[in-house]
Amino acid sequence: MNEVKTSVFEEAGDYTGAKLGMWLFILSELLLFGGMFILYSAYRYKNPVDFHHASRELEVLLGTLNTIILLTSSLSMAASIAAMQKGQRKLSTYLLIATMALGLLFLVNKGFEWGTKIELGIYPNSPTLLTRSKGEVLFYGLYYVMTGLHGLHVLAGISVLFVMLILILKEKIGKTHFTPLENSGLYWHLVDIIWIFLYPLFYLIT
Amino acid sequence: MKPEEEIGKSRYKTYLLVWVTLVILTGMTFSAAGMEFGRWAVLIALAIAGTKSGLVLNYFMHLKSERLLIFKVIIPLVMAVFLVFILLTFSDLAFRGGVK
Amino acid sequence: MTSNMATENVRPRISFYEDRRGILSWIFTSDHKRIALLYLIFVIAFFFSGVVLGFFMRLQMLAPGTIMGPQTYNALFTLHGIVMIFLVVIPAIVTVFGNFFLPIQIGARDVAFPRINLLSWWLFVTGAIIVALSVFTGEGPPDTGWTFYAPYSLRTTVNVPMAVFGVFILGMSSILTGINLVTTTHRLRAPGMSWKRLPLFVWAIYATSWVQILATPVIGITMVLIFLERFFGVGVFDPTKGGDPILYQHMFWIYSHPATYIMILPAMGIVSDVVPVFARKKIFGYMAIALSGMAIAAVGSLVWGHHMFVSGQSDFADLLFSLLTFLVAVPSAIKVFNWVATLHKGSVVIEPPLLFCLAFIFLFSIGGLTGLIQGALAPNMHLHDTYWIPGHFHYIIFGGMGFGLFAAFHYWFPKMFGRMYNRKVATWAWVIMFIGFNVFYFSMLLLGWEGMPRRYYDYLPQFRTLHLTATFGSWILIAGLILMFGNLFRGLFRGEKAEDNPWDGATLEWQIPSPPPTENFEKIPVVNRGPYDFKEFVKNE
Repeated sequence: MNEVKTSVFEEAGDYTGAKLGMWLFILSELLLFGGMFILYSAYRYKNPVDFHHASRELEVLLGTLNTIILLTSSLSMAASIAAMQKGQRKLSTYLLIATMALGLLFLVNKGFEWGTKIELGIYPNSPTLLTRSKGEVLFYGLYYVMTGLHGLHVLAGISVLFVMLILILKEKIGKTHFTPLENSGLYWHLVDIIWIFLYPLFYLIT
Repeated sequence: MKPEEEIGKSRYKTYLLVWVTLVILTGMTFSAAGMEFGRWAVLIALAIAGTKSGLVLNYFMHLKSERLLIFKVIIPLVMAVFLVFILLTFSDLAFRGGVK
Repeated sequence: MTSNMATENVRPRISFYEDRRGILSWIFTSDHKRIALLYLIFVIAFFFSGVVLGFFMRLQMLAPGTIMGPQTYNALFTLHGIVMIFLVVIPAIVTVFGNFFLPIQIGARDVAFPRINLLSWWLFVTGAIIVALSVFTGEGPPDTGWTFYAPYSLRTTVNVPMAVFGVFILGMSSILTGINLVTTTHRLRAPGMSWKRLPLFVWAIYATSWVQILATPVIGITMVLIFLERFFGVGVFDPTKGGDPILYQHMFWIYSHPATYIMILPAMGIVSDVVPVFARKKIFGYMAIALSGMAIAAVGSLVWGHHMFVSGQSDFADLLFSLLTFLVAVPSAIKVFNWVATLHKGSVVIEPPLLFCLAFIFLFSIGGLTGLIQGALAPNMHLHDTYWIPGHFHYIIFGGMGFGLFAAFHYWFPKMFGRMYNRKVATWAWVIMFIGFNVFYFSMLLLGWEGMPRRYYDYLPQFRTLHLTATFGSWILIAGLILMFGNLFRGLFRGEKAEDNPWDGATLEWQIPSPPPTENFEKIPVVNRGPYDFKEFVKNE
């Protein structure tokens, strides 16, 4: 117990410390996207009508589906960790795989969305896009950068989870040592949270 | 807290309940977009997104069960920092034409 | 009794140098002390490069007329800024002395994440290489100024992408170091080492690390956006696509102003540690200094718009940022008062570390006061983009952070290297540097006051005297620098062996051997006194 508030010296393998480190990293990621959200707010404030029009061109149903997919992946992620903590290794592994699968599904959907737009000639600096109003150009600029950056983070997350899968199979993660899995979970939830904001701000602009 | 003691706070039922709430809130924000809220629309959307994030942070990421002060402080801290950045930036953007 | 450590050891102890040998054992180390020295080598090399760049700038400005084309001059001041700011002043104290001494000062064996610490160094070197490459690839080095303002940075054909990518990588390094040191401070304090017993250097590094974590991501994303705009034409800062260049400035300065606190807070931490030792007196107002550091970090994140008074931002923003800028002077002033109060009626011992701290207090105060002048809107209209501004920031950064860094060199040299430098020569170097510094940079303040614009490669004859004076001052300063570094290098190889505690310091690093063993402490100490409790310390000798 932490009976002495001044004494937190622990031997190597500080679980709380590792968790704190991960949280601090998450803070930095939140502000990385935060910077983009500042730009988004600025340009939406300046071009409310254009943003609304451009938003309606996005595929809302696909976006909503993707939101549900990521939320579900967060569920499976949290459950995977819970299972590991209870010693249910097989269940944990399956849930982890499910999380990764859902993440991949998200990216596939994103790929379709982008693909459709690109085929229509709507991408940064495209001749078609540049004929549109400035607000719409900005909308799509922000759309591609923010969802692109988010997508990269989803990919990174899947890769990290894949490493966790290997560690589980190699029995380096178990009932008493699951810190890496839990920290990876924190990262995954971060990716979910960012999308929770991206979704209404891009797809549901009224 | 030792890792073994963390086990107590992980429960499947809670996670499922949170997930259902999240899906409902997603539905709410989706339908809210179809309604005429005018100036309030953005705030409503942000409020819902904020609630969803709060659920993910507190339950999936276990922030609610953290005891140390530092964990309780970090999310409010980053929110405050972001708020300050955006508000001060808007002190420029919203008043370019002069203060009315 | 104090710690369990006896300063005289019965059996010989291996220092962290001897623990494992060979270059691979260094570049793949996880020992915070070795990582600190790896940073030191590169920081000094970058500092010398920055000085050389500055030397050529001053040579160009020695007299009216020109010895180089404007493009070359633009590249010079851009590189001087990038190198000095991102490769020297921002990282130096945190990565060298923060890494080396924070763990020891809190009674730990290493930082919380030693391998991430190594990764931070690798990222630092990588970022530096990428920045260096921008000089030799593409159409040559950036000419935008270290501030990379849009839309020029989007249009100029020189190698901006490489430079901004390098800055992005350097930012990652900084964030990881911040995460490491915050976690270390929270989790690895020895028994009895409460927050109120931490050396003020630790408090300073702690505050700095928070700024690194929270502010750096914003410049990270900004650099990414410049990159994306150049390659994909995204349009976010490009006025022809509806983008707002002033928004670029907001994003840039949201980081780059707090970055100045990343630069100065650690230096203030050094002064707070050194002054008590050489005044043989507890620091005056410990909590005030500790918390004012946190206040500077907080309020300092609210003032960035003072770089943009004439940019076209709203009048309201101008007023707001000016007010906030005046506020941030308060916690800094508190520190200055407390340092002076510590010296007052202390048993002052004049040694090089203290001399550099005294210079810090003087030069930083001038820098701070000039900051207030330019922080007021009306003067700023006249002073912005004149030589006043570099005059101001060199007083703060070089006079402040630089002299703080030199104080750290002279204070911790015996601990890090087990040897002592020549203190007389160090004092002379200090005198020469102090004189050169003021001749150089005060002339800049005057030049700016007279209206001499900055970043100009030539000037009207009316400015010739002050420019001549400034350049001469810079040569005196460089002479002092050469003497100082020469003395330190000599001390490294030929200095007398130093005792474990030559300055009679009370913080934990002075209770272990010089240089320290890899594991720092034979047994983790139990701390039962404050960092500046000298009386007790003397009593127990």
